[in-house]
Amino acid sequence: MFPRHVRGLLDFSLAILCLWCAWHHTPAGALVRRTSAWVLGSRSTARPLLAYYDGVSGSGVSAPALAPVAPPLRPFTDSEALAYGTHLALKGLSPAARAPAFALAAELGIPSASLLDEIRGPAAARKLHESLASAFPHEESRLTAVFAGPVPARYAVSRVAAEGGAPNLERLSRQLPPGFEDATVAAAQALALATAFGLAWPVPEHTPVTSPFGYRHHPILGTRRLHTGVDLSVRVGTEVRAVAEGTVRRASEDGVNGRVLILDHGRGVTTAYCHNSELRVRPGQRVARGELIALSGNTGRSTGPHLHYQLELSAQPVDPLRFRPRPSPVANDAAR
Amino acid sequence: MSPGPFSALSRFLGHFRWAFMPLGLLALIAVGVHAAADTLDDRLLALVDLADAAFDRVVGRYSLTAPLVDLLSLERRTTLARALALVWELTADAVLALPALGYREETSAPVLSSLHLPRRDTWRAMLVRCLRKPTTMRWIRPLATALVAVAGACTVARLVQGSVYLSWRELLGEGVADGVARGLALAALAGLLWRLGWRAVLRNLQHADAASEQHARGFARAFAYGLPGSALVAPLALAAALDASPLWSFVR
Repeated sequence: MFPRHVRGLLDFSLAILCLWCAWHHTPAGALVRRTSAWVLGSRSTARPLLAYYDGVSGSGVSAPALAPVAPPLRPFTDSEALAYGTHLALKGLSPAARAPAFALAAELGIPSASLLDEIRGPAAARKLHESLASAFPHEESRLTAVFAGPVPARYAVSRVAAEGGAPNLERLSRQLPPGFEDATVAAAQALALATAFGLAWPVPEHTPVTSPFGYRHHPILGTRRLHTGVDLSVRVGTEVRAVAEGTVRRASEDGVNGRVLILDHGRGVTTAYCHNSELRVRPGQRVARGELIALSGNTGRSTGPHLHYQLELSAQPVDPLRFRPRPSPVANDAAR
Repeated sequence: MSPGPFSALSRFLGHFRWAFMPLGLLALIAVGVHAAADTLDDRLLALVDLADAAFDRVVGRYSLTAPLVDLLSLERRTTLARALALVWELTADAVLALPALGYREETSAPVLSSLHLPRRDTWRAMLVRCLRKPTTMRWIRPLATALVAVAGACTVARLVQGSVYLSWRELLGEGVADGVARGLALAALAGLLWRLGWRAVLRNLQHADAASEQHARGFARAFAYGLPGSALVAPLALAAALDASPLWSFVR
């Protein structure tokens, strides 16, 4: 196929191609880059080593940091949640990384500044999504189109289709060459935020919150520490339901969390339910939104019957009340 | 470029095969190992969750050790799973990719690019020894190298295709850029497997063969020698074959 006298060049080109790929896309390459930067006293551009396994959250602002300060005034529809998530993720991006979304907005006659505006932002982001809905019916490919641009998104979708399987963000981002990291991170953040806005509540809506999210003096340990969820005052035996469809990642019992369940809803969203009296599901089981998963209780390190409900975005705890449309009554005034 | 200078450049580069070929092989394997490891972090997280649940069950029984239940938050468990994936990958790199640095070719005719193989190191001789004197290393290491090399070639080809299409699309137009990108990706995939892939496997087979000859005499030693390294790379090789080698996607 190739004459022998050109094989030197061919082999050299292929070896360089492999080295370039390893240099930029493997943790081993990042280690070499960091070491050489350290030796030369320069600044390394390599990503943190663990970010190479993250797929879509290597840099930038984390999703919990982008969570809204105030909860939404009314329940969102799916498209509204996606638009609001997009607006919040755009706000967290660097000006350079916002360029594809701004270019798309300009094409549609939407002022770029409105995408970042507190009031007009969600509506402007929704217009972006509506304009892309026919070309990108799948939410995750549409988000890729918003943050990376329609052309790279279309390319990534076609390659994922060629490989077979659903076009999720991780697979889409794998198809894009270097330079799109910020876009895929932002798309993942928008998706996590949108998913969190769409979560139901695990117990009846009127259930009082006895201890909110945030730093507090622990009622048993007496030390000041972060309360990573909200305590919902429910009687022993109250039905606890899945806030969204997902997979049971953990169903176990220990002396602190009592009988505990962790559900993985995908898209970077996880919920945990602690101190139950009875677990109704097993690890690995798929559950539907609203499905009975446990009966609440008073197990583990607990001062009385309650459900500790915890929401995590990108593996970091966040206040679930910031994503809940209607404010729930708080039983303990001091905890407000 | 006319054939003259082209050929001269190729011959000139051929003098440096001793440097770029081992590095190229090492890089190809490292890319393949990462492609495989990247698909395993979720499964590792599930394992970490299981281990943490068991740990919490034990330490949660006693008031003295109960605070240890909070040792691993979800965030820490995720970080731990990724750290395990990183350690796994770097160890697999040491097991599969580092032997590539021992790759040598004939120095008298570098452009011919044939491996310098003493009679006892030919494919045939080594495969015969694999059958007659099987060892864990002789079977697992070359097979694992072959699978991660294919995954590595797919990753490089995918990167070539994406880079070419997205950067040349405006210049060449959609259809032409797509055709060129597909062609170059296929060429990169075929070229990598043809020029580097088999060399990586052969080099690993040589390494495993030499180590087995030296250390793995007798049934027990043949099974046990190099077993931890082989056990470490076998799941990665499986992941490389099942989840990180979309060979057919390049012709779709």
